[in-house]
Parts: sequence; C-alpha cells; structure tokens
Amino acid sequence: MSEVSPETSVQASVEVSAEASAEVSPEVSQPVGPGRLEGIPRQVGQSADLDPDPGVGVGVGPWPGPAPRRPGSAESVARAMAAFTGRALGRHQAAVVRIGFGLVWLAYLLREWPNRRVLYGDRSPWSMDLAERLLSDNGAFTVLPWFGGRPWFELVYHLAVLAAVAVVLGWRTRASTVLFLVTVLSLQNRNVFLGDGGDNVVHLMAVYLVFTRCAEVWSLDARRARSGRGGVVLWAVLGAVLAACQFGGFAGDSLTWTARAFPYVGWAPLFWGLWVVAGLWWTLGRLRPDGEPRAVLDALANMVHNCAMLVIAVEVVLIYATAGWYKVQGSRWQDGTALYYPLHLDYFTPWPGLSALVGSALLPVFLISYGTVIVQVAFPFTLLNRRVKNVLLAVMTAEHLGIALLLGLPVFSLAMIAADAVFLPTGALLWLAARLRRIRRPRVPVA
Amino acid sequence: MPETTGRPAAGRVWSTPAQLVLGLAGAVLVVGTGLFLAAVFLHVAPANSVSRQYRDEVDGLVYPEFEQNWKLFAPNPLQQNVSLDARVRTAVDDGTTRTRDWTGLTAQDLAAIRGNPAPSHVDQNLLRRAWDFYDGSHNPQDEALTNPRGKLAEQYLKRIALQRIGREVDGERILEIEFRVTAATVPPPSWSGEAAPPAPRVRELPWWPVGDEDYRGLG
Repeated sequence: MSEVSPETSVQASVEVSAEASAEVSPEVSQPVGPGRLEGIPRQVGQSADLDPDPGVGVGVGPWPGPAPRRPGSAESVARAMAAFTGRALGRHQAAVVRIGFGLVWLAYLLREWPNRRVLYGDRSPWSMDLAERLLSDNGAFTVLPWFGGRPWFELVYHLAVLAAVAVVLGWRTRASTVLFLVTVLSLQNRNVFLGDGGDNVVHLMAVYLVFTRCAEVWSLDARRARSGRGGVVLWAVLGAVLAACQFGGFAGDSLTWTARAFPYVGWAPLFWGLWVVAGLWWTLGRLRPDGEPRAVLDALANMVHNCAMLVIAVEVVLIYATAGWYKVQGSRWQDGTALYYPLHLDYFTPWPGLSALVGSALLPVFLISYGTVIVQVAFPFTLLNRRVKNVLLAVMTAEHLGIALLLGLPVFSLAMIAADAVFLPTGALLWLAARLRRIRRPRVPVA
Repeated sequence: MPETTGRPAAGRVWSTPAQLVLGLAGAVLVVGTGLFLAAVFLHVAPANSVSRQYRDEVDGLVYPEFEQNWKLFAPNPLQQNVSLDARVRTAVDDGTTRTRDWTGLTAQDLAAIRGNPAPSHVDQNLLRRAWDFYDGSHNPQDEALTNPRGKLAEQYLKRIALQRIGREVDGERILEIEFRVTAATVPPPSWSGEAAPPAPRVRELPWWPVGDEDYRGLG
C-alpha cells in the first residue's frame, strides 16, 4: 500500500514525490538496445491460429481478437457471448500472473523473515494499539488484531508463506488464493506505512487472483484428474475455520455482512459465497457431472474469470498510463534531467558508484528520461498492435530489471514484471514452457 | 480445482432458466466490472468534475483495499535527501540530566542499504515513510498537528528511534528524545547550468518525553 488514507494521499507534493521515489517504476530503465528482443521468441509475428488460447496475451485484452472475416453483428454478439461464457480466456497468462505474484510475495516473506516481528508483529514500532486506532478509522481488513500476541502473528506469517507456496504450485488454488488474499491483506494492513509500489501491486493482485481460474494450466490442480477426497476435507476444514471466525466473537468488525459506506458489502459475503460455490461445484460434479447446473456454474466461473482478467489488464494499463501522463507535466521530465535525481537519492542507491555513472552524462540521461515517458504514455495504445506491444513489454521488463538493481527495489520490479505478464503472448509462454521442460528432461535418469 | 475443458461447451443448448441465469449474471458482471474500473480510473485520474460528483461512491469502492498511487516519480522525482537524527536526554544519578550526542537514524538505514541487492523494508521504508507520515500531518513551522492522525505519527516516530537506541544509554535512563531533520536538495547535474541548491535545511522537533509505555513490545 503506498498511501494510507485519503489524508495522506492528498499531502503536499513533496510527500507525493517521496512516495513516488519508493515506487519508482520503469523510469530508470535501460534504453532500448538493439539486441533487446533476443529474449522474446519468434511468436511475435505468429498468427493466432497457432495459438490455442487467443486471449489476453495475443490480442488487445482478455477479449477474443477480431474475427478473421466480418460476420454479421448478431453473429459476432453470439460469438462474443460464447467466448465470454464458454472458456477462460488467457489461461496461460493467468497462470503466469499467479506464479509470478506467488513467487514475489514468497521471496519477500522469506527475505523479511528475520525482520518479520519488527515489520508486522509483536515488536513493531507501529504497535497494535496504534494500528487499531488507524484500522478503526479506515476499516482495512486484517486478522492480526484478532489475537494480539506473538503466536497468532507467527501463525499468520507462516500461513502466508504456505499460501504463497501453494499459489505458486497451483495446489488447491481455489482455497489457496483466498488464503493468499487473507494473509497478504492481513500483513500489509497491519502496518500500511511500510509498503511501496510493489506491495501495492501485490495487494491488488491478491484480490483479483481470487476471481480468476488461474490454475487451469501449469499447476498441480491441472495435473490432478479428479479433485478427490482431499478437496472435500479441505473444504470442510475451511468452512469450520470460517464459521469459528465468523461466530467466535474475536473477529471484531472484520467479517461483517454489510458495510457502512458504499458499496455496503462486508467481507463475510465474499468468503461464505466462495465457500458455498465450491461446495456446490463439488456436489454437482459428483451427482450430475454432465448436467446443466454444473455447466452453468462452469460458464459463470468463466465469466467471472474473464472479468477479473480484464480488471488485471486494465490495472496494468492504468499503472503505466498514470505514471506516464503525470510525468508529462513535470518540469524535470520536460527538461530531460529527471532520471538523474533518483540516482542521487540516498535511500535508492545501493550502488552509489554505479548510479552516479549511469547519471553522469547528458545524453543518456536525456534519452532514458524521455524514453521512459514516451513508453509509459504509449503503452496503452500499443495494445492495439501485437508486435509493438511485445516490443514494449520487452523494453519494460528490461527497465524493471534495471530498477531492481540500480534503485534496490527488487520486490517492486519483480511485481511489475509479474503484472506485465498478463500481456505476454501465449506463444511466447508455451515456447518458454517447452524450453523449461527440455532443460529439465535430460536430468531425469533414463529408466 | 476442477478440471475444465477450456473450450466452449460446443453445441450446448441452454435451457431457458439457464439462459436467464447466464444472461443476468453476465449483465451484472459486465456492469459491475465496468463500474469498478471506472471508479479505479477516477481514483487515479486528476481530480475532475466527474470524480467530484461521485466522490463518495468512488471512495467507497476504492478505500481501503483498492487504494493506489501510480504517480511514480511524477510529476517530478523527489529531489531531496532527508535524513533524520535523534538524541536523548538521560538522567544522571545526582538528579541532573545529560544531553547525548546525535544518533544518525537515516545513516543506519543507508549503511544497511549500501551494497545490498535486496534491501529490507526495515531499512528502506520504515523510518522514511514514518517521517513522510509525520511530515504530512504537521506544520513545518511550529510542528502543530494538521491532521488528527499526526499524534499516531509522533508515537510511531518516537518508537522507531527508541527501538534502535534502547531504554538506557551507558546505564542512564532516557527521559526525553529530540529529532533533527536535515533536508538536502540534490545538486543539479553539472551540465544543467542551474545554480547550486541552497544549503540543507535543518528542522528540529521539540523534545518529547519518554516513558516506559513507549517501549511496550519493542523487544
């Protein structure tokens, strides 16, 4: 969470820029070098017919690309509806986003493991007392105040680690993404004054991922032919846990059914709703696997997934567009020296010599400053052209890697790369998966 | 996770109730998604006539969980290095007090960040953002609160420093603490021809009393 409250959001410009410096982003990027596209495979120009999943990555968004020939309007509406209800678009992209954010958050939790008690736990300078005063104001969701002490905190922190692992692996994803959401929000909302842009992206994606069918490919769930008995046991256990939290009297105001302000919905409908749907899904799969009710549920799940993928895609667009358009107004971006300044901020120069070197000459600083603004402003529009979009994705990934190293913001940069993955072409993802499989195979001993 | 085909249920003919459910759900989802995205858009866009008109609705949707700020280094990057020092006053046995030397809190952070490929939030964000919080809720002239949450910011800042300094210095109990904040503008690049920035501004906060309750849970 970058900002905490409406109040902090509207503070003086210094405050905003102080925040901004934390969140950096593509700005400090590497220039577009000639060999920059090497990492991107040939898929770029390939047509969608090779693509089993012409979803997000290939076209403009998670909607199917334009039909090859012009159908009548009624026909295209029918096709759009069929695509909307009929399949989960961008399944590979969803899987990559899931794996990416799982890894980012897992890496963060492990990196901060020695500091966890100071950051979010019983040793935090942002004491539970202070936190509760803020939480009673802003109503953010966190389970940590339920039981203040260390054991509960340790349980939540380590559950967060397990949830991240499960999300990466795609194990019982319907449940593990919810646990991921609960733990991410619980930790981050315990102390909102710790985060930067990276935490903010993880926070948002933790919510969005719950609504995607992100384990259709590249997951343990996809490998398991049938959900088996384990799923039912897990479902029952989670239901019992949820009931205990709901009716145990310790959850305070966090599990309400309604909310005071618009949109008047609390967290309880979400958790119980997901739980009921999961139960319904399993029951129908048992009783009438080929029946219509099950097919309706499947179609509903596809619709929710497709909407969530659209939200993820738009979120990424908004991030870049906001970052770009606000820069256009900045005098330092206009005079072409903007890049120089972050490279001289003490908190963001783990390698001062390297930063000084990068910021030492007029022309590179100018080109990267202008290039950054151009790329960020242009990104939304490049989605109209697959080839240009892919080039830009490669450029931005390189930028993020540069930021990770130069400004010492690896979590932010990797989170942004994971978010960008929603726009990666399916062909590239399949190519990469095949490569990874080929690397792995020789190590398997020949039977 | 249920297995799915990933293909349209080819040729499935929906019954009327199913069509109704799907049509209704589809409409709700499309409208809901559209409204949510519109709210997020209005939240990140500059204040405008529409966002003023629907401020309550937008804020209700966005806060607290969908809050976001993507003015990354915009409109201008931060051009200031802010560094915090703290010093304490301790009780001497004979009943007098002793004012101790400044401790470089930011300097400690920077020492931990230098050469570290993955700086911790403890070093990179904790103190820095606590100061942002304080700075945003206080008047720089007289340190008066500009926001009721400023009290929390004072507590937070004090506890961060006390956690690092400890309960005693050389066996003498800490009675009071004071912060000093130095804001140094980054000098412009050599090729810019701009004048050198003014000398760093130093801002001293008032002495704050320190009690045992300030140490609760600091470990």
